[in-house]
Amino acid sequence: MSQPIRLTVNGTDLERSDLDDAERLLDTLRWRLGLKGTKEGCRTGDCGACTVLVDGESTLSCLTLTREVEGTRITTIEGVRGEPAGPNVLTAFGAEPALQCGYCTPGFVMALTGLLQEEGSTHRTSNLVDELEGNLCRCTGYRSIIRAIGALGDELR
Amino acid sequence: MTRSDGPAKLEGRAEFGTDVEVPGMLWGALVYAPVAHGRIRRVPLSGVRSMPGVAAAVGPDDLDRLLPGGGDRNRPVFPRTEVMYRNQPIAAVAARTASEARAAADAVRADIEELPALIDLETRFPEWPGPEAARSEGIIAHVHARHGDPDGAFRSADLVLTETYRTSGIHQVAIEPHACVARVDGGVWHVTTTTQTPFGVREDAAEILGIREADLVVEGTWVGGGFGGKGAAFLEPYALLLAAAAGRPVRLGFGYREEFLLGRSTLPSIIRIETAVSGRRIEARRVRLLLDSGASLPGRDFATGYSIGFLLGPYKIPAFEMEGYAVRTNKPPFGPHRAPFAPQCVFALESHMDELARRLAVDPIAFRLEHVWAEGDPTQFGQRVGPFGARAALEAARARIAAWRTDAPAGHGIGVALGFWSTGTGAGGETRLRLSERELVIEQGEREIGSGSVIRGLVAVAERVTGLPAESIRVAYSDTSTAPYDTGVFGSRTVGALGQAVEKAAKTLLGILGERLGTPPVRLEFAEGRIAVLTNKGLRGLETLLTDTERTAGGLLVGGRHFGTPGTIDESRVLDGTFYPYSDFTAAVHACEVNVDPETGAVRVVRSAAFHDVGVVVDRPMAVAQIEGGVAMGLGEALTEEALWSSDGRLLNPGLLDYRIPTLGEVPSIEVVPIEGFLGAGPFGAKGLGEPPVIAVPAAVANAVAAATGARVFELPLTAERVVRALKRLEGPARA
Repeated sequence: MSQPIRLTVNGTDLERSDLDDAERLLDTLRWRLGLKGTKEGCRTGDCGACTVLVDGESTLSCLTLTREVEGTRITTIEGVRGEPAGPNVLTAFGAEPALQCGYCTPGFVMALTGLLQEEGSTHRTSNLVDELEGNLCRCTGYRSIIRAIGALGDELR
Repeated sequence: MTRSDGPAKLEGRAEFGTDVEVPGMLWGALVYAPVAHGRIRRVPLSGVRSMPGVAAAVGPDDLDRLLPGGGDRNRPVFPRTEVMYRNQPIAAVAARTASEARAAADAVRADIEELPALIDLETRFPEWPGPEAARSEGIIAHVHARHGDPDGAFRSADLVLTETYRTSGIHQVAIEPHACVARVDGGVWHVTTTTQTPFGVREDAAEILGIREADLVVEGTWVGGGFGGKGAAFLEPYALLLAAAAGRPVRLGFGYREEFLLGRSTLPSIIRIETAVSGRRIEARRVRLLLDSGASLPGRDFATGYSIGFLLGPYKIPAFEMEGYAVRTNKPPFGPHRAPFAPQCVFALESHMDELARRLAVDPIAFRLEHVWAEGDPTQFGQRVGPFGARAALEAARARIAAWRTDAPAGHGIGVALGFWSTGTGAGGETRLRLSERELVIEQGEREIGSGSVIRGLVAVAERVTGLPAESIRVAYSDTSTAPYDTGVFGSRTVGALGQAVEKAAKTLLGILGERLGTPPVRLEFAEGRIAVLTNKGLRGLETLLTDTERTAGGLLVGGRHFGTPGTIDESRVLDGTFYPYSDFTAAVHACEVNVDPETGAVRVVRSAAFHDVGVVVDRPMAVAQIEGGVAMGLGEALTEEALWSSDGRLLNPGLLDYRIPTLGEVPSIEVVPIEGFLGAGPFGAKGLGEPPVIAVPAAVANAVAAATGARVFELPLTAERVVRALKRLEGPARA
């Protein structure tokens, strides 16, 4: 039997001993913890739909073994309102609205939240756009997402 | 927030097909054929049935046992004798966990005798096929039509231009992969799935399984993008069969690799266009299409006969001949992709139109304006063109690019293309409106796929007819056993067709209220959470107008239905196969400015503008969003998206790193210009807008590259390599 794993997910401390050694964080979140807001896309790190925050840092949960993040603080879309930048990001995406089918949306929200919270973050709209190249969207053509980021930039300044 | 689904999607609370989970659920996995073509000797499954966690394994030998009559003989769940493409599902396994299911499926060793495979169109037809090929082996569809005297026109022409274009296979790449959960319960088959067409899946899956439609219930979910890839039944029959065998619910989902390997995508084509011109007038056109249809082509003649019409374009042409062949190859079946085959045909035609204009030394937009249809003109099959905004859209584009020319840097090129689309308003549907004291509910059978056509489009129609604000109108979903019938979200038809059902129902509702009031309602109003009716005599609370029974039943219920009547075509012009009338006549003009790196051939689109013949704008933010997204998809088709196959039928780029879709920094500014006033069949004159935004983009990019460099690229996509080759041809001795 596997060693138990301790995680803090959206502020709740968990200890699980039912996880496989090679289990991905994405699968732990979705199928063990029922946090389906973290979306399963490519599972190869190319689409960004599964982005979560690990100790505040934007992370692809499909390429992360749950065992690797033992003892960390994980935030998923279900907990993003509790992050300092989360409410602003949600408001900006909602006001545009910077979403259509909505499948890539939690990944964008998490990645952007992580970027804005980086220590000493001096992000401007232009480099935020560069930093988010790893998140793919097929519906919007990204224009509404870029507008939402722009609006957010104004608010932050 | 203009979308009521926004908050749930933003915070991850919307349940998509991939998220569905039921107690006791097993995980399914498919067994894939290891060859592109082969004769099945045996698919032995007894070994895997005893592997860890395995609850069921089903293959061709189990069909007779599990399905009435063994299911559809023409379209069996698993092939009984012949594998038609590499990775074709030949069996399936259900197990306790996903990894146990995958391990068991991978352990199946099928005994299959490999047969020669046909992968490339040009292997089959190195030269253009003659008429004798039409009935030969492997021709899935043949269409042929003629009008006037094309041969005479070609003999007497001042200019004849003959060109051959090629297009590549492309994938839809919805970010959400396919997934469904199936169960069989008390003789009723249930499947919850991510689909554009719940009723289409019911019809299709019931036929494949050999069960009655009444015994199959399909429940849709939020759909994480469709683009044509989530139409007909796909994973559902496999999942249902596994559930029947296991006696427990089964989840079956795809990873992206499987999406690429097996998704029903658009396949390559070869297109030849010949045009005869006298003076600067097009006198005749011959078009020919060789379409790779993979192992099968849904709608055979429809796919071919409809596509090929786009090669004549929305232009007045006195004489024509067109002939198309759909050729079976050992690739996965062809599937629809947003505006099926229009971007490819329009790429060929509109590149050709620019080349004609160049040889005639005519402005390309002026040349189009001299030939484009106007309302009342006959189509190639003698149908009368309805209100059509092509001319206005072209003129708007001309004005815009004149402004661009004043500040475009040297070396940049500007291109324009005209696309034509016919919205699928012929495909019908029904709705029920339920009006209570507190809300108006639109009961209907579609699911929102992202465009907003359901969640916002149908609501906007109800708003406009009743006067109620959006916050008092709710769209309700249910499964196919209870929802009103609708054909689904495809063909840009949701607002145009189902919207008409909503419009009719809303008018009926007002009529009933008028009868009860003794005076016609001016509109409905919503204040402090309650609905009231405004008439010339004042405001009357709805609660006083509903009967007790209606209140108990949740409101006043009225139905609306719209089933379009197709137009007719002049059949005397049809020599073989079937051609189809158009419904709404919709124009899409795209203009863009590109910069081409002469060393690397890399093309960068720096700005673009989209001019869309929308009839009327129903909801501006949604219309803009739809057009922006379509343009981005068109840019991918124009520049990078290309499925690559080896000669033995292996897909060489089954992933997002090698099959490149546009990323955040690659989509330029897109100016959206709705062209209003050329009214369509939809509510208030709205035309469909789901597919048109993508149609003219590849052609406009190709024309801009030619304008920038003088080099014409005859193949989609315009990869850097193809652009460099075209530049070298320009410099090379062949040209001198």
